[in-house]
Amino acid sequence: MEVEVTIVAFQDIFQNEARKKGLYTDEYRQLSAQIILDKQDMTRLGVKDGQRVLVKNEVCGVVVAAKTSDDEPHPGLAFMINSPWSNQLVRDDVCDTSIPGFKKIAARVSPSEENVTQISELLQRMRA
Amino acid sequence: MVVCTGCSLLCEDIELVLKDGSISQAKNLCRKGYAHFQALFTERTRPTIDGKEVSLDQAIGKAAEILKSAERPLLYGWSNSSLEAQAAGIDLARRLGATIDDTSSFCQGILMELVLTGKVPTCTLDDVRNYADTSVFWGADPSNSYPRLLSRFAYYPRGEKRQKSYEEERICIAVDVRKSATARLCSNYYFRVPPGQDAEFIESILAVLDGKIPRFGDKKRMIELGTVLRKTEYGVLFPGFGMVSSLQEKTDLLVRLAAKLNEMSTFKVIPIVGHYNMRGFNQLLLDETGFINRVSFQGGKVIHGPEQSVMAAAKNCDAALVIGADPLSALPFGTARALAKTSLIAIDPRQTLTTNAARVVIPSAMYGLEAGGSSLRLDGAKIEFEAIFKTGNLSDEQILTRIKEAI
Repeated sequence: MEVEVTIVAFQDIFQNEARKKGLYTDEYRQLSAQIILDKQDMTRLGVKDGQRVLVKNEVCGVVVAAKTSDDEPHPGLAFMINSPWSNQLVRDDVCDTSIPGFKKIAARVSPSEENVTQISELLQRMRA
Repeated sequence: MVVCTGCSLLCEDIELVLKDGSISQAKNLCRKGYAHFQALFTERTRPTIDGKEVSLDQAIGKAAEILKSAERPLLYGWSNSSLEAQAAGIDLARRLGATIDDTSSFCQGILMELVLTGKVPTCTLDDVRNYADTSVFWGADPSNSYPRLLSRFAYYPRGEKRQKSYEEERICIAVDVRKSATARLCSNYYFRVPPGQDAEFIESILAVLDGKIPRFGDKKRMIELGTVLRKTEYGVLFPGFGMVSSLQEKTDLLVRLAAKLNEMSTFKVIPIVGHYNMRGFNQLLLDETGFINRVSFQGGKVIHGPEQSVMAAAKNCDAALVIGADPLSALPFGTARALAKTSLIAIDPRQTLTTNAARVVIPSAMYGLEAGGSSLRLDGAKIEFEAIFKTGNLSDEQILTRIKEAI
């Protein structure tokens, strides 16, 4: 099963705090490597809170934990806290304003058995 | 009292009790600020060349050597440096014929330019506290990014003309794609906008203010919003990255909205910017070159444009000096990968993905904690700060001076 979503990245003070404690901490990874999905999309994917999903597009792919949104219904719209995980999905071909689409990332989400992508792996990809 | 450099509010009322080189008590720090102060004690950088620890002198020498031999160097970051360091950086860029850009280039720079060039009216945060009865947070979530904006200035305090404050005299409006923490606080004044449709939302407000039927959004709600804006005595728009990201090249709509609102009342604009001294860099570069960011000094000229933005320059440079920023975490994958593959020099107090990928790492002092200096607050007020810990780490300004001497 696969669901197409538009991802909007946002800031979170708790994740910001975790980042200051350490780039490689479990807390920072847990707060960053997650995607907030509409309840209906969670049902379509057959996943529950904390289960892993692959978020993929033509740029890259990351495995993160799924989380049910507590907002009003927003099927097809997903949210990720801004982080190296979300930014690996952002296209770098920008228009004249040179502002990348951090807040409008087109991606496909599917259930995954893989481990959550580690930050060391994100760095490796950039250096490869 | 010390100044917190955790965000661009630059809160000056922080009280600390230090014991045995650590913070034993803190007063008035928000969660973000407390984390910023505690960061002094974790994941500090060491001077390295190609991953091997070296002396500070060797790291600075190697950085100078790389920059001197580069044909198209890029100097990037700057929003977490003092005004003095930023001035030193602009001077270094001029001497090297380098491209210089800051974090505003891919976020709120386009809004800051409107303010700094006088295209939209602005005010101080003290004006907000004393006079504002309506604050509009648009594509911004200060509860997470500027935690004390509402408590010190925009909503809760009893200002000179707003003694009845949030109980009776102030309202907050949130316009956002998601029901953020700030939007929840705004309750009935939260307006949801689908991704990328802020331009249509502004056009609808303009229509309502002109007495026309809005074409976009819930008509009843849009008319309610128009009524609130009309009744405002002193309003402040706080646009954030959400608005910029959605409007892209259509920021003239914000100019039109501000002009229209000022026909009926007083409305000011203060962009919610990212790092604590982004405005400082934008102002300094504007004063020096006429542009707030994206400048190349190649050939002794001032060249400005999208080709000089970090997004483009990262792919064309043959060396990059990154100071107080983590583009490998913050930029899109393709741009970050291009930077990771260049001769990268990172000046940073703490470990980041960028320092972990850099050829040369130069540890620096954290401003406001280990180094003094000055900075421009969100609203342009100049704030000076002192070092509160004596650690011996060099400030960005001192490191840049050493690099210039070595070159």
